[in-house]
Amino acid sequence: MAVTTYSGAEQYNFDIVKKFAVMALVWAVFGMFAGVWIASELAWPFLNFDSAYFSFGRFRPVHTTSVIFGFGGSALFATSYYVVQRTCQTRLISDGMASFTFWGWMAIIVLANLSYVMGYSQGREYAEMEWPIDILIEIVWVTYLILFVGTIMRRKQPHIYVANWFYLAFILATALLHTFNNLAMPVDLFSMKSYSLFAGTQDAMTQWWYGHNAVGFFLTAAFLGMMYYFVPKQAGRPIYSYRLSIVHFWALGFMYMWVGGHHLHWTALPDWTSSLAAAFSILLLMPSWGGMINGIMTLSGAWDKLRTDPVMRFMIVALSFYGMSTFEGPMMSLKEVNALSHYTDWTVGHVHSGALGWVAMISFGSLYHMMPKLWDTKIYSQKLVEWHFWLATIGIVLYIVAMWISGITQGLMWRAFDEFGNLKFSFAESVAAMMPFYAMRAIGGMFFLTGAAMMAFNMFMTIRQGKREAAALEAKLAAKLAHA
Amino acid sequence: MSEQKLQSQTVQTTGHAWDGDLQEYNNPLPTWWVYTFYVTVVFAIVYWIIYPSWPMGKGWIGGLSTITYVNSEGETRTHSWNTRALLLEDLNRASAEQKPYFDKVSAMSYEQIARDPEMNGFILSSGKALFADNCAPCHQAGGQGKVGFFPNLTDDDWLYGGSYDKINETLMHGRRGYMPAFGEVLDGAQIDQLANYVASLSGMRHDSAKAAAGNALFHSETAACFYCHGPDAKGRRDIGAPNLTDSVWLWANVPGAEDDDGKIAAIRGVIAGGLAKGVMPAWAGRLSPEQIKVLTVYVHELGGGQ
Repeated sequence: MAVTTYSGAEQYNFDIVKKFAVMALVWAVFGMFAGVWIASELAWPFLNFDSAYFSFGRFRPVHTTSVIFGFGGSALFATSYYVVQRTCQTRLISDGMASFTFWGWMAIIVLANLSYVMGYSQGREYAEMEWPIDILIEIVWVTYLILFVGTIMRRKQPHIYVANWFYLAFILATALLHTFNNLAMPVDLFSMKSYSLFAGTQDAMTQWWYGHNAVGFFLTAAFLGMMYYFVPKQAGRPIYSYRLSIVHFWALGFMYMWVGGHHLHWTALPDWTSSLAAAFSILLLMPSWGGMINGIMTLSGAWDKLRTDPVMRFMIVALSFYGMSTFEGPMMSLKEVNALSHYTDWTVGHVHSGALGWVAMISFGSLYHMMPKLWDTKIYSQKLVEWHFWLATIGIVLYIVAMWISGITQGLMWRAFDEFGNLKFSFAESVAAMMPFYAMRAIGGMFFLTGAAMMAFNMFMTIRQGKREAAALEAKLAAKLAHA
Repeated sequence: MSEQKLQSQTVQTTGHAWDGDLQEYNNPLPTWWVYTFYVTVVFAIVYWIIYPSWPMGKGWIGGLSTITYVNSEGETRTHSWNTRALLLEDLNRASAEQKPYFDKVSAMSYEQIARDPEMNGFILSSGKALFADNCAPCHQAGGQGKVGFFPNLTDDDWLYGGSYDKINETLMHGRRGYMPAFGEVLDGAQIDQLANYVASLSGMRHDSAKAAAGNALFHSETAACFYCHGPDAKGRRDIGAPNLTDSVWLWANVPGAEDDDGKIAAIRGVIAGGLAKGVMPAWAGRLSPEQIKVLTVYVHELGGGQ
């Protein structure tokens, strides 16, 4: 059995992992702050200061881009580079390419956010970036693909570890999705504006084929890759079932591609397309749960860690929310349920139970595991990790409960008829009814943001501590050498 | 990593190890997981048999479930299950419930509708929905309007008249308020004098010398304000010229001004700049005559109908 030391700094390119890990935390705090801000705007509209730049419409993509691609993306770059090197026992094939993906990706997030605030948007959810930024994404992403595949091909291990399959599926699918969703013709070479190659319903279907698979491959498969490395590592136990990992990997990859149509129930989308998508969404339930079972069962026999190890707790709660939202999703994709939930805050709550509960929590857990190892030290404060855990968990629960209540209230108000056959409520009345839940949601978000800020501080201190210890060690060595 | 723990398990690992201690057990698939997956497969197949599902040639497999509905031409049709027919069904059901009431609306006079308690309930319900969908974007949710933009419908000041017939006329054909820009024909001092005079009409604080000069100007051929607003400045409803003496402000944002100078300045702004934005769209053709009749009674009841 090959044994590597944790401080394999010369053997592996950890510099790039460190950069992405730090930026993951920076984007987490920024993106979640933007989220809290727009959530507060909905509850207290004066917060947009009557300025177009601060309006919900422009700030919302700033929030989604910063958390999904800034925080989530950086966490994925960091962990995938870390995991692929350690499990293939080889260095990334090119430091220059790695560095390019870092600076390229950061430029993309900054440019995208600036362009939204200035009013540029393709109007495609989670793909609001206009064409020049899309081209930059394409270049960075292909570089990432080559770097990742190249590194796997140079592996010193005969078998490819399961985490790498998931990362690779994510990189490949994202390349495919990004390319086809952004086929657009610029108005002219010096204009940010472009028009989609597709029209009408087909355009909407392309958008949601992308949108749901962004959830499936970016926010699910990729973070399952993270899970498959960091959960067994943190638990110190083997993965529960290799067989299950194979079966659910292929089932997940196959099923996800079909389900985008469930975002367009009760629209101009043909009925056959949407019921096909609904049925595949139900088929997707068990393949999704395969990852949860594998993660949670890995811990069986070491349950006491849940009491003693807050980092483990992040991971297990992440898996629980993953299981919950992958159950809720298929239910919402049935047309009868969707008739109530569509266009309401229920959808927003569902997304956040996945995004906060699963994506963010598993990233926090993984970063808490990885960052002290990168700087060869211990976590600065376990107590802050505990605080972070509880703030985040309470924040999520507040958020989801608020959105369930407001979503179902909206759905019921919009469909209510009175005894004369007239709509019982005007739209504005349903908006007014949302107020307390919008406030509750904003408070839940503030809890979550506070936790993330604590983590950023904790990791900043951990890095400082690691650097100090390294310097002290070096000084000692130098002194010893001088004596000898 | 404790080796004893690994060995105590009956299930073997795959024999691979990555990054030191990373291994995998080779546990079989959990039985409940496999069978639940089979259940979802059966569910999907049943769902596809019932509902329209797979594309086939130029069409698609319609599924066993059918829906019978009345289309917009009034013909009864049966088709494989589809969401458009469901929507139509919903709309048909609602309009069937509304129909007896709308029939009464067209048969009864405004006064009869207003006096009939049951019809009043219908007006409040239907009028509220119609108002919220069509009128509230400008006149605001409660009909209170917005100074500087849209008239208040809850007071008893009517630009074009507050009788049922006049309200109906306004709704059917729309209105277009217009006032010339006097900044082009009068100088700044004259406009200031007129503004002080208008302020004096509502008992606001003003410069009495300027107001006296303004009074003369108002009734002169130079400014000719009295052509539209009348010699008594009480307006003319036939052309929608507002009453200037009732302290109700639509265009000049007097209530929003911070001090007396601001109030006069707001009035000066309207006199100098004139108005071409007082447009109310015509609703004939967009709403049915019965719906407009409902709205007429509803708006009449909002405030001081006359």
